[in-house]
Amino acid sequence: MALIRSGYPIMKHPIARWIRPSVLCVFGASLSTTFSTLSRAEDWTQFRGPRAIGVAPNASLPEKFDGQSGQNIGWKASIPGRSVGGVIVVGDQVITTSSDGMDQRRIRLLSYDSATGKQNWEQQWVARGRPYCHPTSANAAPTPASDGKHIFAFFSSNDLAAVDLEGNLVWYRSLASDFPKAGNDVGMSSSPVVVGGVVIVQVECQGDSFAIGLNAEDGTTVWKLDRPRKANWSSPTTVQLPNGKTAVILQSSEDLMAISPTDGQAFWRVPIACSTTSSAASESGKLIVPSGGLTALDLSSTGTPSELWKENKLNPNACSPVVMGDKVYVVNRTVLVCGDVFTGKVLWQLRLPDANQIWSSPVVAGNRLFLFSMEGACFVVALDGEQGAIVETNKLGDEVLGSPAISGNAMYVRGATSLWKITSQ
Amino acid sequence: MIKNPLYPSWKQHCFRAIVRAGTLAACLTMSAPVCMADVLSDQLSTLRSIQPGDEKGLQQAASIAKQLSSSKELSLIQVLSAMKGASPIGKNWLVGLANGLHRRSSATQTAELEKFLADKTQDGEARYTVFRWLTDNNEERKAQWLDEMLFDPSLEIRFDAVARALASSEEIDQARLTTLLDAARHPEQVAAVIARLGKAGVEVDEAKHFGFLTRWDFIGPFDNIGSKNFDKVYPVETDWTRNQLADSYEGKTGKVTWIEGTSEGPEKIVGLAKNGEEKGRTEKKEKGPDQGLVDLAKLFNNEKGCIVYGKTTVNVPSDVDCEIRVGCINAQKVWVNGELVIANEVYHTGMQIDQYAVPVRLKAGENRILIKVCQNEQKEAWAQQFTFQSRLCDSTGKAITLAP
Repeated sequence: MALIRSGYPIMKHPIARWIRPSVLCVFGASLSTTFSTLSRAEDWTQFRGPRAIGVAPNASLPEKFDGQSGQNIGWKASIPGRSVGGVIVVGDQVITTSSDGMDQRRIRLLSYDSATGKQNWEQQWVARGRPYCHPTSANAAPTPASDGKHIFAFFSSNDLAAVDLEGNLVWYRSLASDFPKAGNDVGMSSSPVVVGGVVIVQVECQGDSFAIGLNAEDGTTVWKLDRPRKANWSSPTTVQLPNGKTAVILQSSEDLMAISPTDGQAFWRVPIACSTTSSAASESGKLIVPSGGLTALDLSSTGTPSELWKENKLNPNACSPVVMGDKVYVVNRTVLVCGDVFTGKVLWQLRLPDANQIWSSPVVAGNRLFLFSMEGACFVVALDGEQGAIVETNKLGDEVLGSPAISGNAMYVRGATSLWKITSQ
Repeated sequence: MIKNPLYPSWKQHCFRAIVRAGTLAACLTMSAPVCMADVLSDQLSTLRSIQPGDEKGLQQAASIAKQLSSSKELSLIQVLSAMKGASPIGKNWLVGLANGLHRRSSATQTAELEKFLADKTQDGEARYTVFRWLTDNNEERKAQWLDEMLFDPSLEIRFDAVARALASSEEIDQARLTTLLDAARHPEQVAAVIARLGKAGVEVDEAKHFGFLTRWDFIGPFDNIGSKNFDKVYPVETDWTRNQLADSYEGKTGKVTWIEGTSEGPEKIVGLAKNGEEKGRTEKKEKGPDQGLVDLAKLFNNEKGCIVYGKTTVNVPSDVDCEIRVGCINAQKVWVNGELVIANEVYHTGMQIDQYAVPVRLKAGENRILIKVCQNEQKEAWAQQFTFQSRLCDSTGKAITLAP
């Protein structure tokens, strides 16, 4: 034990009589914090989870479950209002949003205990931007995001708020008040990402249209980028460039850009028309872009990426593609299509019977793909054969438009009015 | 020995030291809560006044929120009360703080919250927040309270009260429906009550009740090919501003003159027409009650890539602060008495009543209104409508009184 000048060991020095209790108090306070501030490998902290590809390779989920009988339903929590956004998982918290009240102006951010489904906390605000949307949608449309320390909630009305892991307000901004022509009365749904201390959101519409990077600590503007004045519901995603830098991918009907999260400056721009609903995914040095069906760009070289392949039969329609290993999966209306991620060749197609509409992007756990129709039917597809095969069709009994989250061996699904945990454990 | 006052004894030293220490302690004890109250008041004041675009204020607010989140001196009622008169952004900072405090509050605070809710001078959003805290897990209490809150000054509370009344499975008598009509402010609820009154044999002039502007004169089409002329100032605009409109103007494809147009109700499908055969039956449609909708596509032969101007006047008995509210699926500009009050270059992203609402001041007597509606050239089936509706009402949504 180190000695200080007096000759006393530090912890036996008289001054330590008051230091020790203080240190213990601080340490104890840290321990007594209810929610962990440490990010875990099992966290699902944004739309489509880690690396935004919708895959939990080591997860094991039950193939069979039933919302009515409760088979393999860990818990169900009824939530006031409506949401079409996805769920995130941060530590032992399952986080979702909701909107209700007159014109869906009451916007909420809610946390539930992942083990019990009991509500931890709730935050709410009043929408200051335009809350209107298509009846299918909701003001609570974007999926929240987290950096492990804060949770960022974004809404179709362009209200954006940050809370700590105990639900205390850190900051709030009304982007629609800052930029009054920002809004789309059929709804907006682009989900935020957090990179290097910057929260990035796309607010693209016919009015004030922009992407903006905000300081995650206090919500102040770090950078703002004007964007095409056209409706765009796709979400930004992040990629690692060959030079080791992280870039944020912004897609629109006019182009695809990679920008720096720290200052919004473009690394490169590709003039291709991208989908304005389905979002890009990146895996193994490739950027899979919903453009002309799907277009794969080569990220392994520096500079503007070149096209590897384009395949219009791999049309993701409203859902975002899932990339796992050497395969990419898209949902073309009610058909699941599998393609080779290296060549774009269509490997197989699988019709999803009685699926009327599909808005929720699929997720993969192990070698099983889980896909929800709007009616709440979950198709479980085995991916380990030559051809995909439906092994189960489960009924949740709830409308599902948001994309699920997977954490541990559980899948969390945001139904329009309830939050579900699906697990066999 | 004579005691020299300049040199007090050690007893006097001690006595004076004790007195000074006690005085200091008393000052610190008494002044600390007073100082802290001032600090809290200043901090809440800063949050209350945050305005859009104020980056420095935002940074300050984040710092204050961090401090206040763990403050033991700050009370929930204090934060809720601070919402009165706060800016819209400020109110969201405060309600965010209030949610945290409420979570940590004890059950003994229920009485205080009920008192706050009962105080109708408090901010409406704050009161509705409290109402939800107190009733979200207590349906019986919610039902009982809402029955008494039909005319609450908070539009959110009133909305819930009317919604509950309308959702009742019991038959609602005419007197009650008339009360609900008087209470309702949300357009969907007003329309629902009017529909029920209609079924009960009581006809309500929906257009008059809402304050829709139903009579217009229109002129067009003017060119908007490529959607390029939203900001183009056609002579109609300048002449209208000077109140010197001509009878005709050079339009998109030649001379155009003013035509009368009146509003109508939405078209709805009410069944299939009987034509003697099961196969090929056409849809039977009928018009609903007049909701101020003007079908410009019908008036101007489905012209695409064009602009149409509409003008009307309203007479009010005295100066009045009100709102002009417009629903329009096309890009539009609106002027009132020469001043541009609405401008939205947005095409085909939905339409609803009260889609755009701005405060205006009407003067006693005649007031002039001009609307510019722009159609683009989209070919999708869902992008063919060329229509708008407009009304004048107070800030709660009640139609203003027009001069007879």
